This record gives sequence, structure tokens and C-alpha cells, in this order.
Amino acid sequence: MKAEIHEIAPEEIMALLDGELSVDREAAVSRHLEECATCKEIRQPMRATSAALAAWVLPVRSGDAHFESRLFDVARDVRYAEVATGVRQFAPFFRRHWLLTAATSALAAGIALTLSSSGLHLARPISSAKAQSEAADGSGFGMGRADSEPITDQQDKNFTNRLPSAPEVSGDSNGLVHGLGDHAQNSLSDGDTVGAKFRQLELEGKDHSRWLQNGPMIARTVSLTIVAKDFGVARTSLDGILAKHHGYAASLSASTEQNSARSLQASLRVPAAELGAAMAELKSLGRVQNESQNCEEVTQQHADLVARLNNSRKTEARLQDILRNRTGKISDVLAVEQEIARVRGEIEQMGAERTGLEHRVDFATLELNLSEEYKAQLGTPVPSISTHFHNATVKGLRSALETVVSIALFFAEVGPSMVIWLIVILPVGWFFWRRWRRSYGLASSASL
Amino acid sequence: MNEAPSRSPDSKSSDEKLMLAFSQGSVEAFAELFRRYKQPIHGFFRRRVTDSAHAEELAQETFLALVRSAVRYEPRALFRTYLYAIGLKLLQNYRRNAAFRAFFIGERKAIVDPAKHDATESALWVRGAIAKLDAMDREMVMLREYEQLSYAEIADLLAIPVNTVRSRLFRARTALRELLEPSAATASSGLKGSRVSAAQLATQNRIVKGDCA
Repeated sequence: MKAEIHEIAPEEIMALLDGELSVDREAAVSRHLEECATCKEIRQPMRATSAALAAWVLPVRSGDAHFESRLFDVARDVRYAEVATGVRQFAPFFRRHWLLTAATSALAAGIALTLSSSGLHLARPISSAKAQSEAADGSGFGMGRADSEPITDQQDKNFTNRLPSAPEVSGDSNGLVHGLGDHAQNSLSDGDTVGAKFRQLELEGKDHSRWLQNGPMIARTVSLTIVAKDFGVARTSLDGILAKHHGYAASLSASTEQNSARSLQASLRVPAAELGAAMAELKSLGRVQNESQNCEEVTQQHADLVARLNNSRKTEARLQDILRNRTGKISDVLAVEQEIARVRGEIEQMGAERTGLEHRVDFATLELNLSEEYKAQLGTPVPSISTHFHNATVKGLRSALETVVSIALFFAEVGPSMVIWLIVILPVGWFFWRRWRRSYGLASSASL
Repeated sequence: MNEAPSRSPDSKSSDEKLMLAFSQGSVEAFAELFRRYKQPIHGFFRRRVTDSAHAEELAQETFLALVRSAVRYEPRALFRTYLYAIGLKLLQNYRRNAAFRAFFIGERKAIVDPAKHDATESALWVRGAIAKLDAMDREMVMLREYEQLSYAEIADLLAIPVNTVRSRLFRARTALRELLEPSAATASSGLKGSRVSAAQLATQNRIVKGDCA
């Protein structure tokens, strides 16, 4: 006889008894059972087993009337509450989809944190009231400003070194009353009323340092940071502004790097009287990112210099007089001449210092930082895309290698300790795990 | 015999309709459901939990959970499956807590159940045989024999494929048959004095064609 695979599986016989077969299959299996004695031998024990299991009968439970009453009350309350409020309970949804809820919450928190700490604060203009209050104190010394508000007339006056009108002195073409001393004395202009006045006072032997006490001499320094939309236009305008206000650039450097904004750093010198106007025009070149002004009063310094200079000149004059009018030995003459030379040297040095000081007062220093508003260029960047890809690939591989090395280093550092702890903890954990499993198994089968 | 409600198509559909009616505010519908499933749910827990008081509590908690979840009920599956799923979850929580207590505190002495005292010898014998089965097989046999759930419902409840249910149920019943009637199992295999495994039995059903003719 040929051996063949039985066409009916034993499970199907069981399924037939349980009524779990489809109609067609049920018919086929039933037909087979009528013919096959061996399969019948499977069916009968199955039925007997089910019958035996049915012997486990539980007594009919009477029920807890109190609980049932409470249960129906709860059912009514829940229904009325739901009907009354019509509020959909979202809590179960969040419980079911806790992972989604947690991820969404974390994302929202991250976005909020990033926005709050990103430093996206725009330059806020200082209120005019604040600006005026700052100007009203009359100092304006060392204040930093971050706005583009023009300097008011009041503020401008704070920075002028115009001396109060002295009845005997009038200002020059810039309205300045220059410091006294050689500056006025060395003026080539015979029409320089200040210089003439100085010489007159000197000849009269009067102390002209009192003049200096009539008003402060202030050396002004301003720092401006401007962002311009059109750098080229701003650069050209800068030259025009300087020329217009009789200023000059003491130093200037410009940079133009690829794929970044152009910038310019310059140290400008502008006549003090023109400073306000020059600053106003410079500010119009773009958006003022930062502005700071500093004023240093050099009145005392200047007065000291002038006084020393006067004394030195008087000394020189006396020595000249001695040399001219008195006779003596040659050695005496030589000594006098040496002394005259030394005094002359001092006079020259002090004169230069005073000139520099007065220049600082006459010409305000304006440190300008001009940058361009950067606009990324659309188009094929330089270098080429393949270069970018190459660079990115190299960077990625390098990063991956560093990650692998970091992991290896971590395990090299922590690994031996981890191994020791695992050796200690694993047996203990395994013991408790076995005990737990045993307890759980007992709890699940204890009732049977 | 078994406490499961009738499996006629009418009662099946009416369970879902009743639950829907209850979800929309009909307490009477819930009362009918409670009447139908009071005994089956009690039996479900009574067969799985040692302590009768705990079984009663679990049954009550099941209905309470059903009431509270009524608003969210959607008839995606049979109501019976839904209800037994609630019961199964509560049972798992109970067992976990019992294991925790047994592990850390020590096993509590179960309250002696008078019903157990009065139980017949055959019932005790059946209980003992079932207790020897694997946990999953035991649960499947009990859901099939006492709760009268279909293979699909059991698969849905235990989150396993239907074919797995069928094969494991067959295996479990075969093992039970041997446990309950070892002499009968020996006779059917034709091998005197030896116990036959379910696998061997399945293999012997590969019939030579001539025998089935």
C-alpha cells in the first residue's frame, strides 16, 4: 500500500467539534469521519475530554445586592455627567498614546526653549525720552547707545568744546576758540584774532591761562557700528561725508570674503563742530547697530602744558637777554647757550604735546565699523557641489570614526568596572528573577 | 454547566446593541447586560483566583470598569471579547500584585473557600489536571471550555494568531486527555503501557491510503 498524507488534520476534527470550520470544510471533514475509523478514534476522546472538563461546575452565585445597587447608581451618574457636560475625555486617549503625547510635549517644550533663548531680540530703539534724559545730564560721557536716533541739539551742545563767549575773543571759522599759547601764536594768519590776543596778553605779561578756565576742553571719541544694505554706495558716501565735513580717515581697512558680508573698519577724524552733522549723515548710510560716545576733558592737561610752556619761554627770554647783554668768560657764554638749547628743546616738546592735545580737541575721533547686510546668493556656489559633497562626506566619515572611537574609549574606560558589577549583580538578579517567576506562576495556578 | 450566554446570532448582536444603547444613556440596557454576564464573569474569576472574596472583587471591578468606559465604547469587536479583555487585564494586574506580595511579603494564606470543600472529586481532579498545563495552554482551554469563546475571540484576547490558538488548543486538550484518562490515551495509541506525546499522536495520523478506504 502506498503511504499518503492524511487529508484531514487532527486539529480540524477538534475544530469540527467546536464548530469552527467553514461550511464546506465541515462537510468534507464530516464525510471523512464517517469513513475513517482512525479519525473517529480522535473524535471520541476529544468529546470525552470536554465532557470531563464540564465536571468542574461552580455554584450559582446569589449576587451582592448592595454592590449592584451602587453599580447602577454609578452607571446613572456617569451617564448623566457625560450627557450634561458633553465633554470628551481626552485622558484615556493620552494614556493610550502616551508615546505620541510625550514626544509632542517634548517637541513643543524644545521649540519654546529654543525661541526664548535664541537671542532673537531685535535692536530696540531707545525711547526719545530716555535719550533726552541721558542728554539732559549734560555729560554724555562714555554712554553706549544701540539705536539710530539722531543726536539732538542738546546732546550736540554737550559735545562742543565751544567756550562760553568771552567778550574779547571770537571763534575761528569753525566757531572754535582755540586754546591759547603757541597754537594761536604760531598762526600764520594775521587776522587770527585769537593769536593776536594771545600775543598781546603775553607782551603785556598777563596770565592768559585764565582763558582756559572759561570752558572745558573736551576730546571726543565716538564709535559707530552700521549695517548698510548697499555697501558700495555706503563706501562712496563715506568719502563724500568726510570731504564735506573737512574730515579725514586716519586708518581704514575693508574686507570682502567669499559668501560673507563685506565690512569696513575706519578711524576717522572729523572737526569737533562737524561731528554731530557728520554722525547724522553716517547714520543715514544704514542701520545703526551700536553707538557709543566718550568724552575726555583735557582742560587741566592743557592748562598745565601752557603754564609750563610759558615758564619755559620766559626762561628762554631771560637767557637770551643774559647772552645778549652780559659779558663774561667764554665758558659762561657756552653754559648759557647750552641752557638756552635745553630750554628750547623743552619748549618744542611741550609745544608738540599741546598741539596734539588741541588736535584731539579740535578733531573728534570716530571709530566706524561698516558692514554689509548679507544676502546669500542663489546659484552655484563656489566651490562646486561635488566639492561640497566631498567635504560633507569626509566630515561625516570623520564624525562616524570619532563616534566609534568615543564608544570604544567609553567601554575601555568603563568596561572593566561594568564587568565587575555585572559579575556581582547578575547572579543576584537571576536568583530574584527566578523567585519572582516562581511566585508569579504560583499565583496564576494557585486556584486550580 | 457553563455560564456563558447563548451564542445565537441574535444574542450576539443584541449585546453590542445593548452596550451602544448604554453608551448613549440607557441604564436599562446596562442592567440587561449585567444580568447576562454576571455569572459568566464571576465564573471567569472564580476559576482563576484562589480567594473567593478577591474573585468577587475582581468581578465587580470589571463591571465598574465597563461602566466607566461606556462613553468610549466602539463596537469594533464582540462585546463579550471586550468584556473578557477587561477581566483579563484586571486578572493580570491582580496576579502581578500577588506575585509582588508573595515575593516581598510572603504568600498570604488564601481564604478557605467552602465551595472548594464541597467540590466533587471529579471537579478536583479536573482542576488538578488543568493546573498542570502550561499557562497559555491552560488559559486557552479555559476560555474555550468555560467561557465558550471562539478561536477568533481567543486569538483576539490573547493577541496571538488563530492558527496558533487551534494548534495549541489541540495540544492542550490532548495533554489533558492523558492527564484525565491516561489509560484511554494509551489504548488509542495502540502502544500498551506507554504515554504518547501530542506530537507522536499527530504523526500517527498520517494514514496509509488503504486504511481509510
